[in-house]
Amino acid sequence: MVNWMLSLEVIGILIYATIVGFIFMGIERKAMARIQRRVGPPIYQPIIDTLKLLGKKESVSHGIIYDFGPVFALGATILALLFLPIANFRLFSTNADLIVVAYLLEVPMLGIMLGAMSSGNPYSALGVQRGLLTMVAMQLPYGLALIALVQHWGTFKLNELVALQQAHGWSILVPALFLAMIVFDIVFQAMLGLEPFDIITAPAEISMGPMVEYGGKHAALLFTQHAVQLFAETAFFTILFLGGASNLLELFIKQLAVLFIAIFVASIYPRFTIDQAAKFFWKWPTILGIIAVLLTM
Amino acid sequence: MSNELLIILLSPLIAGVLAWVLDIKGVRELIGLVGAAVPVAYLAKLYSTVTNEAITYSIKVSGFNLGFQLNTITWYFAAIASLVGLAMALGMVSTSKSSYDWLFALMSYTGVLGVFLSQDFVGFFLFWEIMTFASFMMVLKRNRHESLKYFVLSVIGAYSMLIAIGILYAKTGALDFATIGKVLYMDASLGTIGTGETALIFGLLLAAFGVKAGMFPLYVWAPGAYSENDQSYTAFFSGVLSKAGVYGFLLLYMLMFYKLYAALGTFHGHMTFAYIIAWLGAITVVVASFLAVLQEDIRKLFAYSSIGQVGYILLAFGIGSGLGFAGGLFHVLSHAVFKGLFWLVTAAIILRTGKTQFKDMGGLAEKMPYTFAMGMIAVLSLAGIPPMAGFASKWLIYEAAISAHMPLVAGSIFLGSALAFAYVVRFLYAVWFGQRPSDLEDVKEAPLPLLIAMTVLAIPNVLFGVAPGIVTGYINKMLGGEVVTGNYYKLVTPTGTYNALLIAIVLVIGLAIAGLVYLYGAKVRKIKVTNTYQSGNPVTEEFNLSIRKNFYRPLAEALGFWLRYSWDRFYERLAGVVEDFADTLRESSYNGNVQSYSWYLAIILLILALWGVL
Repeated sequence: MVNWMLSLEVIGILIYATIVGFIFMGIERKAMARIQRRVGPPIYQPIIDTLKLLGKKESVSHGIIYDFGPVFALGATILALLFLPIANFRLFSTNADLIVVAYLLEVPMLGIMLGAMSSGNPYSALGVQRGLLTMVAMQLPYGLALIALVQHWGTFKLNELVALQQAHGWSILVPALFLAMIVFDIVFQAMLGLEPFDIITAPAEISMGPMVEYGGKHAALLFTQHAVQLFAETAFFTILFLGGASNLLELFIKQLAVLFIAIFVASIYPRFTIDQAAKFFWKWPTILGIIAVLLTM
Repeated sequence: MSNELLIILLSPLIAGVLAWVLDIKGVRELIGLVGAAVPVAYLAKLYSTVTNEAITYSIKVSGFNLGFQLNTITWYFAAIASLVGLAMALGMVSTSKSSYDWLFALMSYTGVLGVFLSQDFVGFFLFWEIMTFASFMMVLKRNRHESLKYFVLSVIGAYSMLIAIGILYAKTGALDFATIGKVLYMDASLGTIGTGETALIFGLLLAAFGVKAGMFPLYVWAPGAYSENDQSYTAFFSGVLSKAGVYGFLLLYMLMFYKLYAALGTFHGHMTFAYIIAWLGAITVVVASFLAVLQEDIRKLFAYSSIGQVGYILLAFGIGSGLGFAGGLFHVLSHAVFKGLFWLVTAAIILRTGKTQFKDMGGLAEKMPYTFAMGMIAVLSLAGIPPMAGFASKWLIYEAAISAHMPLVAGSIFLGSALAFAYVVRFLYAVWFGQRPSDLEDVKEAPLPLLIAMTVLAIPNVLFGVAPGIVTGYINKMLGGEVVTGNYYKLVTPTGTYNALLIAIVLVIGLAIAGLVYLYGAKVRKIKVTNTYQSGNPVTEEFNLSIRKNFYRPLAEALGFWLRYSWDRFYERLAGVVEDFADTLRESSYNGNVQSYSWYLAIILLILALWGVL
């Protein structure tokens, strides 16, 4: 009854995604450092950070929901990851389509928000407010980009999207979908929480926002969540626009390419305020998104 | 067999009247509960019969033949109504202390059932009016201005429906749905009823059903009427009474589909009339959700949210494909159960704290844990978190809208669901978390009947979330084809798949893995809410750390331009103009001057003379 092959794949991918996610975080820091002519930390630095946080002698808590928040966030991220087809591993991806996965990738946010809200810290609350408003703002162009994609390929199934792209060329080679990719890439910056849309955490303004109260193992959980999320989201981008991948190495290279664009943008742009972000998202990306959608009708 | 329909229909009304007449504490609650439970029991009993063949019953009243039918479609709506009705009655045991409430709440229950079961316009209109009147009386007791606003709009809706029925009767010579449907179907190819007349009937019915469903721009009554009410009753009001409007739209399709299609044609590949409904739904979703985000009152927030969610159903029906109907019908169920649950949670909060503004609340999760858990289920379902019923229905609507090539309509659902996320989090934050105001220290958990009522509505949220196939299987029977395939746990549409059970299982596995990491870490020490980071400063109890007012201020600022326009103000101003006009008319014509009355007589005589009568 139990599908041992699938179980092994799931465990393997989980470990791989976590490690690579951490490496991506390291690459992000390293690249940012090099852009600013610093040496920067070693690539494996986030792993060390997380292990240190896990090794703290005591954690503080504001109640059950405060503990449950990060656990739920990590759990939901794992859920989202397992429904993506990762390179040649299909995992559970035949059981959920694009809309489900797009939703699942947003569920972890609820966990972080829940925990942050239950801490009762005003900085957390501000972070939650900004997080939700960012989501409201980015959702329209995000939706339009996905709709353009689905209308062009005529399917919601991720595996079919990959197969179609491998047969007919990548999504970005289609002019309309290239527009959709630009829109998605702008939104992607907000999804990853990078400048100019790192409004949620905004370290210099609201002391890390939702994460302000978290330390010790809670913070370790959130770090791990961020790593897995980073992996899942870059993989999602690859699947949608870069034709997926037939093996993990190809996937890794494509993910890295996506990540580097995000890093380059992030390192030269200052942060938007939240109302600027809302107005921005409802202007250019939305217009581009509508054009892309109309072109694929 | 035939008597059973009558029992289902009338038992709430009879129970309501009995409760009103007896008015003994304890007895009226018991009678009311029994009256509300009888339809549930009978509908459950008749389930297997209905799926095989329809049950009909007809009665002659003052020359009209009233026909009722329990078929797959009406059973679905009636079952949802009676489930929420039962929860309402349970909730009212705790929240309502007057027999007045019981009479009218149960009367509107009967009204809704009558609307769903009627097979002709006579019964439909009769029960429609009973439903409107009873719900109006519930609001009237608490707020005269809001109740009159509701009443005037409902009357406009009802009488535009009456005019439409009149035209239909004049054209087809029939009042029962079956004949009208047949005649209009034939007329689709003959075309004896002109385009203008068809459009008129369509517009009138759109207004009639749009008022009840809270469609843009006719939703202005809803925030007031839903707020100024017994919140247990609002569970029924917003959960089921708004579905009467939705059912009306379904009826519109059943009666006039081919005729409207033939008369109004297509617009860029979509049926024009359906396209109008879809866009009205989409605008409703976006406008109402934006307004919900900006509310400062718990009841207003859910009122706008309710309008927005019904907008999803209209939008889904407007798509016009089988998948769209499946999504819309599923959302009828999931909206009824999660919004009913929300209102019951609100009822519990208001009952125990006596407050409705977000600024007065906070930190209630520790005081009312069970209510909080129920509220969480409702939040997850409304925000569309898999695996909950709210997600399954929304997923179908997404699939339908995108496959039907309605990209901007689908885009509005994306926006609407992010907004839904934002306003439920607002509710969570302001009511349940953070610092507790000192006057809420002795708040107790909600009373038992209310807790049972919440549980009654929470179960379908989870059950139909994990096993959405139960509902879609039934919907397939209603629509007469395999629109959504799959099994109990897995939905398969022509373009996509959604396996709810697997998602639930993987979520549990994910939580287990995360939980292991959590358990591996060091022990946890619990600290107080006020022991927190405040830029390194000490915090005492007197500080208010929670942001309770204007939580989404930046959004209000970003939308500043749009918020200057309000339909509410527009209608108020229109009402003012009409009132002024009535005053002017009275003062100018009934002026007490004998000479002017003789002038009127002279003018009339002149007209008659010119007409050639004299």
